[in-house]
Amino acid sequence: MFSTTMLTKKYWRAAIVAAFVVILGLGVGISPVAAQDKPDPKALLAQVDTLSDFTGQDFSAVFTIVTQKPGEKDSVTQARVFRRDTKKQFLILIMLPEVNKGQGYLREDDNVWFYDPSSRKFSHSSVKENLQNTKAKNSDFTLSSFAQDYTVTSMTEGMVGKFPVWILDLKANTNEVAYDRVVLSIRKDPTMLLIRQDYSVNGRLMRTTAYPKYVQLEGKLLPSQILILDEINKGEKSQITMTEQSVSPLPDKVFTKAFLEQVSR
Amino acid sequence: MNIVLPRIAIRNLMRQKKRTILLAGAIAFGIMIVTLINGFAGSFVRNVSENFAYLMGGHVFVSGSEYTPSGKRISVIRDDSSIMKALSTAGLTWSSLQKTSETSATLIFESKSIRQNLTGMDLAHSSMLKERLALVKGSWDNLNWPNALIISQSVANKLNVLPGDTVVAQFQTVTGQNNVGEFRVAAITVDSSFIGSIMTYAQLDYLNNLIGLGPNEYMSLGIMLSNLDEAGAFANKLYAAMKTMDLQLFDRTAKQDNGSMTPFQSMIREQNSETWTGTKYRVYTIDDVLAQARQIVVALDTASVAILIVLFAIVMIGISNTFRMAMYERIREIGTMRAVGVQRKEIRSMFLYEALFLALAGAVAGIILALIVMAVLSAIRFDPQSPVFLILKKGHFSFYLPPLRALGNILIIAALTLVAVYAPANAAAKMPPAEALRTVK
Repeated sequence: MFSTTMLTKKYWRAAIVAAFVVILGLGVGISPVAAQDKPDPKALLAQVDTLSDFTGQDFSAVFTIVTQKPGEKDSVTQARVFRRDTKKQFLILIMLPEVNKGQGYLREDDNVWFYDPSSRKFSHSSVKENLQNTKAKNSDFTLSSFAQDYTVTSMTEGMVGKFPVWILDLKANTNEVAYDRVVLSIRKDPTMLLIRQDYSVNGRLMRTTAYPKYVQLEGKLLPSQILILDEINKGEKSQITMTEQSVSPLPDKVFTKAFLEQVSR
Repeated sequence: MNIVLPRIAIRNLMRQKKRTILLAGAIAFGIMIVTLINGFAGSFVRNVSENFAYLMGGHVFVSGSEYTPSGKRISVIRDDSSIMKALSTAGLTWSSLQKTSETSATLIFESKSIRQNLTGMDLAHSSMLKERLALVKGSWDNLNWPNALIISQSVANKLNVLPGDTVVAQFQTVTGQNNVGEFRVAAITVDSSFIGSIMTYAQLDYLNNLIGLGPNEYMSLGIMLSNLDEAGAFANKLYAAMKTMDLQLFDRTAKQDNGSMTPFQSMIREQNSETWTGTKYRVYTIDDVLAQARQIVVALDTASVAILIVLFAIVMIGISNTFRMAMYERIREIGTMRAVGVQRKEIRSMFLYEALFLALAGAVAGIILALIVMAVLSAIRFDPQSPVFLILKKGHFSFYLPPLRALGNILIIAALTLVAVYAPANAAAKMPPAEALRTVK
């Protein structure tokens, strides 16, 4: 009989192997590819941004994040995310683990508040902060803005597994962007982000994010599974799975402190 | 002065030794509790302030803040010549100056990690560090390493590192970008306190380079004085001197009506809501930071007054009843005294003297008992990791009882006892001698 732990371990092993296959593929797979017109890098970035852009619509989904740390038991964090990109708003409501249930993050413009129901207090947070004890950052659940925040310094061709990709090396336009350098591997057809590598100010690889699975929602391709590897603290990783995604309109009150307090009870 | 009545009062108290001891004991217990609370409250703020002053590296602080075009507020002092000039023109003296920058960092070593407050300072020349930190492993000589790191013993145990090991630190620059640095463990220190154990020290220049500050820049200037009590006056003089130099300053003088509880909180709110160009400075003291700790003292003092009232309400009822009983026991004696010419007011005074001596004896005994308990508690050494460590003085409980406060407590007890005994004393004084002599016990 399979125990839940065995299933989880098997599942994790498969997921990690898949992620490494994808990443190794990137490293060794740079080879001549079928001649293809080189797109405008800026336009390609804008296209990637558009994939996660729900301007004019509301977006909600449940994200389950399984985080592995060496020597520690796997932790599961589940959060329901509500987004309204038109007004740069989001609300992230923590559902698991039980001990953190009811905690939430509310964003309006550039302000992010963290709410703790045990103290009933809001405190300032940031989109650059990690979500709970996971490797995911609050910004991973928001609209990306590569085209605005970064300048493409190089654009080469490569392979991720069996997929031909454009490899874009990006340099931050200001010193206020979370990562100073980002390398994106973007699948050529259809355009979708497969791997993202984030570098520190002094050029050290900090985080590799793989997007192995996508789903279609209202004509947009959304990553339904994300693997985040911590490159500094080797062995720490998070897997994010998206479910219950929807673009149904949300009431305005969802993006208020009062709503967060109410649902946290 | 008529000393007969006090002598009779003392004799009467000695006649009923058990009763006197019980009544004086009740008063002594109440006074002891109140004195202990007063003594603890008296040293509470001082201990917390001194402990935090050591952790933060100063009694008075000057920090700079810049408002960027994108709306960020960056903590930085880029040029401190104006601050030094203000210190000089104000004619101020201090024990040491500490320039610091800090960031919240995750230290990582072989898959183990821990969150720390990483403070950059001139390690090799910091007298404060050498005075206050006791080394367990490593050497002060290692502090010349450019990427030297001082960590506490609990952090070293958690990461399993030894002097010479290189740990990786992950943190954000002042503008919020992620960055990574490598630090070499130079020394491991005894955990100075629960909060001390989350403090990690690095070279100022090295940390500045990693968090996006220049070599001569820093975030905060800590000024250590010879005496904590001078901090308020020192900060006011420095603030005034900086103001006359037309430097931009956050107002440290007034508590505002914007929901801020203290002037310090008001300054923080001002910093978070205002916009400005250039560098704007905050001048504050360790007491400003810990102003809310004073509210704990107010709460303790209020609690001690409440305890005093409740305890003595009970004790006074007991004393009043006991003296009424004593009056009936001595009714024939009172009759005899009145018959031989003792006046009514002298009978009343005799009872009041008894009450006064009882109260004084109980109060003095209570204060002596409190001093003994204080001495015993002060002798106990607490674990440096204990969360109560911050309210202790070098690991021990300390008490400070203002003499006037103790005297005030004694006077309150004496007055309350006299009030409680006044009714039975008056009843004894008004008793007709013939009726008193006729009464059979």
